[in-house]
Amino acid sequence: MEFLEGINWGLLAPLFIVQLILLVVSLVDLSRIEKTNGPKLLWVFIIIFVNIIGPILYFVIGRRNN
Amino acid sequence: MSLIRIKGLKKSFQGHEVIKGLDFKLEKGKCIALLGPNGAGKTTTLRMLSGLMKPTEGSITFSDAKKDGDIRHLIGYLPQFPVFYDWMSGLEFLQYVGKLAGLTSKEAKKRSLELLELVGISDAKNRRVGKYSGGMKQRLGIAQAIIHRPQLVMLDEPVSALDPFGRREVLELLDGLKKETTILFSTHILNDAEEVCDEILFLHNGEIVESGSMEALRERHQQSKIDFIFRKKTEEMASTLKNHLLTQSILVDGNRISIFVTNVELARKEFLKLIYEKDWQLDRFEVSSMTLEDVFMKVVGK
Amino acid sequence: MSQWMTLFQKEILEMWRNFKWIWVPITFILLGVSEPITSYYLPEIIKSFGGLPEGAVIDIPPPTAGAVLASGLSQYSTLGVLIIVLGTMGVIAGERKSGVAAMILVKPVSYLSYVTSKWAGSLLLVWFSLFSGYLSTWYYTGQLFEWVAFGEFLHSFVLYGLWLTVILTLTVFFSSALLSPGMAGFISLALALVVSIISGALSHLLEWSPSQLTSYASALLVTGELPEDTLLAILISILLIIVLLWLSVFLFKKKELAS
Repeated sequence: MEFLEGINWGLLAPLFIVQLILLVVSLVDLSRIEKTNGPKLLWVFIIIFVNIIGPILYFVIGRRNN
Repeated sequence: MSLIRIKGLKKSFQGHEVIKGLDFKLEKGKCIALLGPNGAGKTTTLRMLSGLMKPTEGSITFSDAKKDGDIRHLIGYLPQFPVFYDWMSGLEFLQYVGKLAGLTSKEAKKRSLELLELVGISDAKNRRVGKYSGGMKQRLGIAQAIIHRPQLVMLDEPVSALDPFGRREVLELLDGLKKETTILFSTHILNDAEEVCDEILFLHNGEIVESGSMEALRERHQQSKIDFIFRKKTEEMASTLKNHLLTQSILVDGNRISIFVTNVELARKEFLKLIYEKDWQLDRFEVSSMTLEDVFMKVVGK
Repeated sequence: MSQWMTLFQKEILEMWRNFKWIWVPITFILLGVSEPITSYYLPEIIKSFGGLPEGAVIDIPPPTAGAVLASGLSQYSTLGVLIIVLGTMGVIAGERKSGVAAMILVKPVSYLSYVTSKWAGSLLLVWFSLFSGYLSTWYYTGQLFEWVAFGEFLHSFVLYGLWLTVILTLTVFFSSALLSPGMAGFISLALALVVSIISGALSHLLEWSPSQLTSYASALLVTGELPEDTLLAILISILLIIVLLWLSVFLFKKKELAS
């Protein structure tokens, strides 16, 4: 695991933060929205456990307008 | 002065003619009920008048239309199932629609608050429309229809979806609105029409079968109604009564037979004599003057 | 004009309320930045996890900064396009299907304003997202590899943005011409795909095709020079956008709002 030392954490940290924002925003939206395509609980799991793709998937196909 | 003139209006869907040629005028300042059973073509008619649908044939002429034929500044329209942007609040939606109709931001805000008060949902003005109940949406719908003070307000079944309380309040609202503008509203409930309207257009199977002012209608159909309820109805009863000289028209509904007559005194005597002679078993006998409901049942030929 | 602004502001506000202003740019950032990061760390990752036999030397030549940036951009022509199409397909068809379009257009609202304000709202979102995503990609590439000249970055950004605008306008067009958002999305995606494939295969015949803008942007990043057909492709794209937009309004006007 010596390569971990070579990682520039200053460069990666912003990405983790951005990813966290995405996660939080999708959860906030999910809590406010009335109906989703498919069960709401399923989306909670997808958002939390599927890294990055989960929240995006939720916004693209999980969210139902009107 | 007539606001709008409709000539030979027809509409077909896939070759099936739903509106079969309407001719009428609407006068300024009146409240007109577009009455008829479900499927008579009320919604289609209103949609054509509001420009949401194009007539297959015929013309709709507004006296104050713009040169290019645009009439949308003159009308306010509330569909039977109004839809809003769920993510907006009631106040936001009204302001939005008001600005689109040409009000300045300031006017739109003032007018929106006024209307929210008028239709009785100002408590919920900052709540998202998605959270509104059906009745609240209907009220918001009325508010958006009149926000730009149109000459003609068209409402499609504005009270059918409401509970008795809500219905009462909305009808009163319409009654108040009558003073400001011309109202055309559709309903399949006679009482609603009778309560607020001066005039009636009665639509049945895509045709106007009866129209005019309330009083004129009542006068024209000044007849009395005699209701018989027999213990057991037979074909003989129905045909004998139907062919009786005094009978003008007849409605048979199970054991109940209603007969319309002009000379009620003579009819009372003659019919009772007949029943006595035939020895028909009569449970109830009632004489009444005709209500509008009876008029329409007769017109529709039920 | 004030009516157009009212409609436009509503679009912007709606995208705030449904968080589009947050999630679309973030997605574009993550999509783009993943490229320089994986290219940079991949050799090391292979080295420590690959289980290569002792003594085997992996010698992957490090890619040039321009090539990394170009492949970062290419992320947007697949997943980026997908997000744009799925997010835009309902702008008009969805409102008409739900009935809210009838509520709005029974007011004296110009059809031209209605359609163009929606287009402009989505346009702003796409350009903003592309800019934040691509700028981050440029920054990370600069940090991990070498700095690509900012002018080249800007030029390739505009070329790419124009191609995405063509896709966006195409989606708006089908959204107003068809009743179903799903149908509009499907046809737009299929068409974008077909056009890209055909233009790629017959690139010597279709130098003017808008989808070539993507390869011209890459070419600029890799070789540092713009192919000479770029201007033609730009003009064709702009023309196509105007025609599609005009057709959208025209077709939408002819449709009945209630059915």
